[in-house]
Amino acid sequence: MARLHLGPDEVETFVPQLGQILDYFDQLNQYDGLKEVSDPSASLEAADEPRPSMPRQELLRNAPETLDAFVLVPQVKTTSDE
Amino acid sequence: MSDLWRRSASELAAGVQCGDLRAVDVLQSCLERTAAVEPSIGAFLQRFDDAARSAAQDLDRRRAVGESLGALAGVPVAIKDNMNLQGLPTTCASKILEGYESTYTATAVERLVSADAIVVGKTNLDEFSMGSSCENSALQTTSNPWQLDAVPGGSSGGSAAAVASGAVPLALGSDTGGSIRQPAAFCGVVGLKPTYGRVSRYGLVAFASSLDQIGPLARSADDAALGLEIIAGGDPLDATSSDRPVGDYRAQLGGSIEGVRIGIVSELDASSLPEGVAANWHACLDRMTDLGAEVREISLPHLPATIAVYYVLANSEASANLARFDGVRYGHRTDKQVGLTDLYQESREEGFGPEVKRRILLGTFALSSGYYDAYYGRARAVRAALRQQFELGFEEVDVVATPTSPTAAFRKGEKVDDPLAMYLSDIYTAPVNLAGLPAVAVPSGRDSTGLPLSLQIIGRAFDEATVLRVTAALESVTPALGFPMDGAGEADV
Repeated sequence: MARLHLGPDEVETFVPQLGQILDYFDQLNQYDGLKEVSDPSASLEAADEPRPSMPRQELLRNAPETLDAFVLVPQVKTTSDE
Repeated sequence: MSDLWRRSASELAAGVQCGDLRAVDVLQSCLERTAAVEPSIGAFLQRFDDAARSAAQDLDRRRAVGESLGALAGVPVAIKDNMNLQGLPTTCASKILEGYESTYTATAVERLVSADAIVVGKTNLDEFSMGSSCENSALQTTSNPWQLDAVPGGSSGGSAAAVASGAVPLALGSDTGGSIRQPAAFCGVVGLKPTYGRVSRYGLVAFASSLDQIGPLARSADDAALGLEIIAGGDPLDATSSDRPVGDYRAQLGGSIEGVRIGIVSELDASSLPEGVAANWHACLDRMTDLGAEVREISLPHLPATIAVYYVLANSEASANLARFDGVRYGHRTDKQVGLTDLYQESREEGFGPEVKRRILLGTFALSSGYYDAYYGRARAVRAALRQQFELGFEEVDVVATPTSPTAAFRKGEKVDDPLAMYLSDIYTAPVNLAGLPAVAVPSGRDSTGLPLSLQIIGRAFDEATVLRVTAALESVTPALGFPMDGAGEADV
């Protein structure tokens, strides 16, 4: 889900560390019953006005691989676990 | 070397505006100071000496033909390297942004440049701002200018170290849970986190969008106020930025704080602080009382849950924000010949450092179905309650004071293998981001080893004016720290 492929060493280090942190997070249980409220900033909307976007060539400059006007990625169909 | 580097941003700008100083001389002095201290400190990830020299020459030419210059005329400034500046790399101190060059400029940076400041470089940070010591930078180590074996704090540690050491009088940092204020505290400078929405976040690489704010680091409340006046204000490119008028913050400095009601939080137990920090905290309260302020206790019952709430929410937002770094459109892409899913996974495995991975994992977990209510949902509820508790508290007091950090700067390596211990040091700063409030870290003295200590002043939303006024009053009765490494490089000239 996190799209991270971890090495065995990392798994060994992270498991106890993350366990300790999650145990600490469990103190939130005591607030069971508090209502989740909506964040006032979450309902902000920008005006729906068209404006020029960045030129495609500018954006493609940073792509690791490109083909004409497109970003190039490995063939999706060859991926067995998609 | 000339001693122009010692001056404040406001003095330098005034001098350049009226023609008493040349921008090239100001810059030269700061560059020489940087050359003397930077090899030991390592504050900068990128330096633009040549571009800065041309910009300074340009300013002097414009002045010579009678043009009036901006409010930061000729002031050398440094930018934390998580803000975009067109045509230059933005690294976020991460290997995953290897090769990335900004295609646009952040609004806050644009405003500094429009005010005729001169950007001299971009500073080190914990990778993607995730950390409290700069030790999570994948690119460089930064040292505390006061004691080189201590950390500068983080995540805006490079900006704090650059300002403290005299390389620049003003820098920008960003603050998600204390990332401006804690390094400001560790390095003995003033760091201001504005109200959420006071400064546009456009062009700031997002860590936790509901908490991030850009703000100034400087050597005085006056320069921090000047910096804020320039960068604050609404921006159509950031829907969460506020159109409220920007205050004339500097004009209100220097006023008396007699009768100002200063809150201290009952839930924060000063007896648990280390001796030196506790003594300094009590001295600060005495100073404020001597200035005529009235100290009152307020209660924020949910404050003890702050660190859990903060790290659930910040990591949840981070796991979503950092999904865009996948090796497809920019940054590092794995050399391995793999399919698309493995390309994402391998590029991220190779590009992200351990702290970023830990946080992405925690955030993904907290948002996952089956755990969402227990973690993310509950954390949001506690956040909302905490915000209301602050609002109630601010009916009784005008500002709230706390230590900025429970300790002075710690040693390099001390907490690097214990992420939870590192997180817990954000106890005083993170609640401010959760409530969206403005706060300043202001130097308040030194501990027995000579490291700076700091007081935090928190204000009502959009009341940066009062926060800065109290800061300036405290500054006026606190012995100045002076410069670390004073005399560095002098023998060479």
